[in-house]
Amino acid sequence: MKAIVADDSRLIRGIIEKTAASIGFEAVQAGNGREALSLLEASGGEINLVLLDWNMPLVSGIDVIRKMRGDDRFKKIPVLMISTESEEDRIQEAIRAGAQGYLTKPFTADQLTDAIHQVLEKH
Amino acid sequence: MKRILGIDCSPKVEKVVSGLFGGNDDVQYEQFHDGIALNGYQMIILEMGRNQEHVVQQICKLRYACNFQNIPIILINARKKDIPSQPYIIAGATEVLSLSDPLPACRHIMNGYLIPGREPLEEEFEYLDPFIKNTCHILQTMASIHVEFKKVYFSNTIRIFGDVSGIMGLSGNAEGTLVVTFYWDLAKAIVAKMMGMEEGEIDAELIHDGVSEIINMISGSTKKEFVGTPYHFEISLPSVVVGPGHQIGYLQNTSVAVLIFQVGTQSFALHVCIKPKTTLS
Repeated sequence: MKAIVADDSRLIRGIIEKTAASIGFEAVQAGNGREALSLLEASGGEINLVLLDWNMPLVSGIDVIRKMRGDDRFKKIPVLMISTESEEDRIQEAIRAGAQGYLTKPFTADQLTDAIHQVLEKH
Repeated sequence: MKRILGIDCSPKVEKVVSGLFGGNDDVQYEQFHDGIALNGYQMIILEMGRNQEHVVQQICKLRYACNFQNIPIILINARKKDIPSQPYIIAGATEVLSLSDPLPACRHIMNGYLIPGREPLEEEFEYLDPFIKNTCHILQTMASIHVEFKKVYFSNTIRIFGDVSGIMGLSGNAEGTLVVTFYWDLAKAIVAKMMGMEEGEIDAELIHDGVSEIINMISGSTKKEFVGTPYHFEISLPSVVVGPGHQIGYLQNTSVAVLIFQVGTQSFALHVCIKPKTTLS
């Protein structure tokens, strides 16, 4: 299984990739939303999960979700948003845009694993 | 009674210092050495040696030994020659005085630096407490590191004597700046723990990234707690500044709360400069 991990922090990408790998995902990393969209375009339909930060340069995570949901090729790929944005209205905004799950930073590896499983189950 | 430490002071300078403080304060003297302990002192007086580079190094080491506490470091020039103060101020000295300066003026200046930083009012803790709680929680959750909040003081100084700072600009209802500042070794240790890696595997870029992410998480998790209050703010993308004694500009007419945290024997600081909206729209 393949996942895109999009976060402008290399450190956070590394942490997420490690946890994703522990549950069987091969992760490809994107440093911003534009890179995440490029990776989706180049993936040939092989992406099974997208893990997205909200606040990223160039294209934000919420805009990536909106673009994905408006594109037949990507609209069914499950998305977990992982962000420091922790207010309820922000969480609801991400869900309305099409995220299947939302995890606020900081998080433990167990919380991330649970959140990924929940997103995949919803899918 | 104030506790003052004189370092590398000649008998001539000791005599002047005694005259300045007149026996009302506890002045102790010792020779400079690495690992010098400055806890409990309200002022450091260092007599300037002849070698500028050596003095600059001494000041840097003393500033590190202050562990983010706002202890004034007064450099005394006992020689007749006028010297430029800039290299010493940049290194972390608070003031450079000369024995040829008039004694009453020196006394006035030094007494000014001995006025303690203001402690927070009870209502100020209402907005500082969420920052304290979340800072401890973030490092516990992401790095399994136990963080203890040690103290807080207010300062109007804009100098930050750490090695690496993560900065977040705040806008919206409340405006201001949040800055988390670490010494390099502690930043590296925390990032290594966050990544589950050995410290030797951590490069400078990862440390910058980690510090940036820490201020991002502190800001993001705390702003939720201010929803509906004059302290509610929006965040942007964080930035990082590297280099000892770097300067951060804060909002004018807004004092900065400096929160000092301890991890084992090491410290780091969170600077909270926040100006709440006076009336809720």
